[in-house]
Amino acid sequence: MKLRQRLRGPRLGTKLALLGLALLIVPWFTYRQLVEMERILVQSQSQAQLLTAEGISTLFNGREDLFNDLPVTLDAFEPLFAHPLQTTVRLDGVADEWDEGLSDEYLTFGSQTGDRDGDFRLLLGERSGQLYAHMVINDDFVVYRDTEYLRLDNADHIRVDFIQNDGEDGRILLVLGESAAVTGFAMDDQWRFASTGAADNRIQGGLSWNDGELHVEFRFPIELLGSRRYFGVTWVDVDDPASREVTTTTRTLPTAGKQSFNLVILQSPEVRNIVQGLGYSGARILVIDQEKRVRAETGAIQTNSEGLQRTWFREVAELFEQVRPWIHEIIMQEPYINDHAGEQALVADRAIESSLMGEPIALRSRAEEDVEIIMAAHPIISEDAVIGTVVVEQNIDNILSFQRNTLEQVVTASIVSLIAVFVAMLAFAGRLAWRIRNLRREANAAIDSYGRLRTGELQNEMDAGDEIGDLARSVSNMLSRLQRHNSFLENMPRTLRHEINNPLNTLSTSLQNLAEENPAVEHSKYLESAKRGVHRIGSIVQNLADAANLEDALETEELELVDIGELLENYVANCKLVHENTSFMYRGPGRPAFAMVSDFRIEQLLDKIVDNAVDFHRPDTTIRVQLDCFRDQLQITVANRGPVLPEAVEKSVFDSMVSHRGPQNRLHFGLGLYVVRIIAEYHGGYVRAMNLADGSGVAVMVQLPLADVPENDIRGYTPIVTERVSAG
Amino acid sequence: MAKVIAIVEDDADQRSNYTDAISKKGYEVRAFASREEALEGFEEGLPDLAILDIILGDEVDAGFQLCRDLLARAPSLPVIFLTERIDEIDKISGLRLGAWDYLPKPISLDYLAERISSLLRINEARDTTETSSARQIGDLALDQDALLASWKGQRIDLSGTEFRMLAKLVRMPGHAVSYETLMNATMQSIVSNNTINTHMRNIRKKFEKIDPDFSSIKSEYGYGYRWAQQ
Repeated sequence: MKLRQRLRGPRLGTKLALLGLALLIVPWFTYRQLVEMERILVQSQSQAQLLTAEGISTLFNGREDLFNDLPVTLDAFEPLFAHPLQTTVRLDGVADEWDEGLSDEYLTFGSQTGDRDGDFRLLLGERSGQLYAHMVINDDFVVYRDTEYLRLDNADHIRVDFIQNDGEDGRILLVLGESAAVTGFAMDDQWRFASTGAADNRIQGGLSWNDGELHVEFRFPIELLGSRRYFGVTWVDVDDPASREVTTTTRTLPTAGKQSFNLVILQSPEVRNIVQGLGYSGARILVIDQEKRVRAETGAIQTNSEGLQRTWFREVAELFEQVRPWIHEIIMQEPYINDHAGEQALVADRAIESSLMGEPIALRSRAEEDVEIIMAAHPIISEDAVIGTVVVEQNIDNILSFQRNTLEQVVTASIVSLIAVFVAMLAFAGRLAWRIRNLRREANAAIDSYGRLRTGELQNEMDAGDEIGDLARSVSNMLSRLQRHNSFLENMPRTLRHEINNPLNTLSTSLQNLAEENPAVEHSKYLESAKRGVHRIGSIVQNLADAANLEDALETEELELVDIGELLENYVANCKLVHENTSFMYRGPGRPAFAMVSDFRIEQLLDKIVDNAVDFHRPDTTIRVQLDCFRDQLQITVANRGPVLPEAVEKSVFDSMVSHRGPQNRLHFGLGLYVVRIIAEYHGGYVRAMNLADGSGVAVMVQLPLADVPENDIRGYTPIVTERVSAG
Repeated sequence: MAKVIAIVEDDADQRSNYTDAISKKGYEVRAFASREEALEGFEEGLPDLAILDIILGDEVDAGFQLCRDLLARAPSLPVIFLTERIDEIDKISGLRLGAWDYLPKPISLDYLAERISSLLRINEARDTTETSSARQIGDLALDQDALLASWKGQRIDLSGTEFRMLAKLVRMPGHAVSYETLMNATMQSIVSNNTINTHMRNIRKKFEKIDPDFSSIKSEYGYGYRWAQQ
């Protein structure tokens, strides 16, 4: 039964909860939309950047001259490239402020292996008009400058060669002080004495010595080098502090004398000047020449890496990030790629190469852990040849974070609203189910197990305005109509009696007058049978009306304390007088069994049961009547041998108008046992009919509550159903 | 001079049947179909006995009202109700004080005539003499002629039917009287055990009103009743 109920379909609450799942379509759509929006935004951003790059590149189209301040072929020179520096360098001999990517850019001078004493490595950088140099020198023993000596070349020192603006050779010697300071002096052409007495304070530097490596950092203004930017560095090593002889001289210059200078390649100031004004917020613009050297740079990528606040909102969102690939695959039906951006260096290479091939390109790249940029590159054309490229880099974090934030909001709002809707729906469903259950209970209770109407209206939900209210009202309406119909039916016997009795009376009196008038017919058998018929109809109507009015009549009955044992004993004794051909046997508990009853209603009840038993008993068997006392109940059992009750009718024999007698007993109408039930129920008891355990007959049992008389006890009951009472 | 019997019955057939039957017994019958008609008729002169149907047309208690009117004018006038059922009379409190007897339909005309004559006789007996034919059974005194009963010297108002049942019961004190015998005493055509029980309960109550310790009427369950001498 339970299973079938389940199979019938989900309960109301489950249905509503399932419907609530339909709300998931909102985040589903939003997610799709957001992903599309991100695509479009990134795409348009790329387009915009490409356009910017194109715009800037047109400024340089045909301006080969701007790129040609350097010899186009560098074969004759050993170029020293000054890398643009992003950060300010502290001149302390430690290169940790230098950009990370530059650690591979050191040029080694000296021996082939570069590990001999006196060999050095050099890195040049450029920032805000200053040329920075970082030298890492292999030196077993550092001989600092001794200020006692006027000569400067008798200690470890660095010579810087360049050509000044006026075309003259410039010589600056950097001496290493014990205080880790590096001081520069303009020198005579013999590199022995300072040409001026004071140090050249345009040159600044610092040093540190660490495990055989001397780190020297120094800087000087680029304009010192003049426009030609010829520049050379020489390390002069002095190892013996006593003799102060020069042991090694290591130059950046390939061969002394042939070509005394290296060439410092710098970003082009003219190009930079053009680009400078084009910089816009959040974007970095690079101009790169054919040799992939950065010729100008302006702006910086904005990174707004302010610490994100950790709120519950973000916690939920981060939880969402965990399942996002999974959700993305479900919604977008494509694998989730979080990392659109390649490594910056690779991407930059690709972009620049492609651009230098003449193809404009825009790529996504990752600048830092959390910073994604778009890199757009557009070639600069001159006379059908690509002479360089313009790279525009811009942070797309605002786009991505916009997307992320919106996503977070949508997710959170969806979750919250889903939960809210779920709770609301569950509450609603619960309430609905509760109301319907109440209604069902009340509607069920309106009709008792015998199908009688208990009430003509419902109380619950009658004021509700919704469909349940309608249902309640219509059920109530049905009940009241049913009640009207029922009361019509209930009053039917009474009405019938009234309506039949009058014509019956006419008939009866007419017959009597007829007999009086015509003495000849007085003894006619027809008159007799007519009189019998009248009497019979009268009896029928009377019985029907009695049964119909029984419940009302019982209400007026006064109950009194009666010893049922005595009553039964008396009754059974009298039965023997009334039913002369039948033997009765009574067995009682042998002590009073008091109950609050109406004695002649109990007598009426017994009449019906005994009549029934007499009608059904097998001749020459005894009808047994027994009284048993239980704790608070007494039980009257009337048992007879004879045909047993079919199983199907055991429950219905006490219903109205149910008769299982043959057609020869038309007068009974099945009212007898119905009367028994009504009387028993009125006294707070109940009645049932059972077949005897041995199948030899039927027992009718009436249970009535015992009155609260002190001497009750539960001893000595012997249920007749399971016991064979010997006749006699 | 013939006694005047008033019959109030709304059904024409029954009315004429009653009229015929009672006329034949030598009474003068005045039959009315409704309460108004009857009241008009009573203006001309009161009958010696009235037979009233309770339901007249649409008036469900017209018979009771007529009874009240009649008894107001002539308190000793015998009234017989023709009714559907005894219960309905029981429901009307105070009626039993006034009505002498009642007969449930369908009635037996013989019984009706018998009642009429006995009631008229009784009325005369009550009017004229002091009770002389009284029979004494213990504390109970029964005057068969005047239909008067008294218990321990106090008068008990019993209807005709109740008196006849009591008389049957006390004929052989100490012996059980069967329902069947008691049914005959009611002089009604259709009687059930319940009718007897109802009557007996009413009789008992009337005795108990005077004597709370009254317990002479014993039930013989399944058989009938017994008068037990105290």
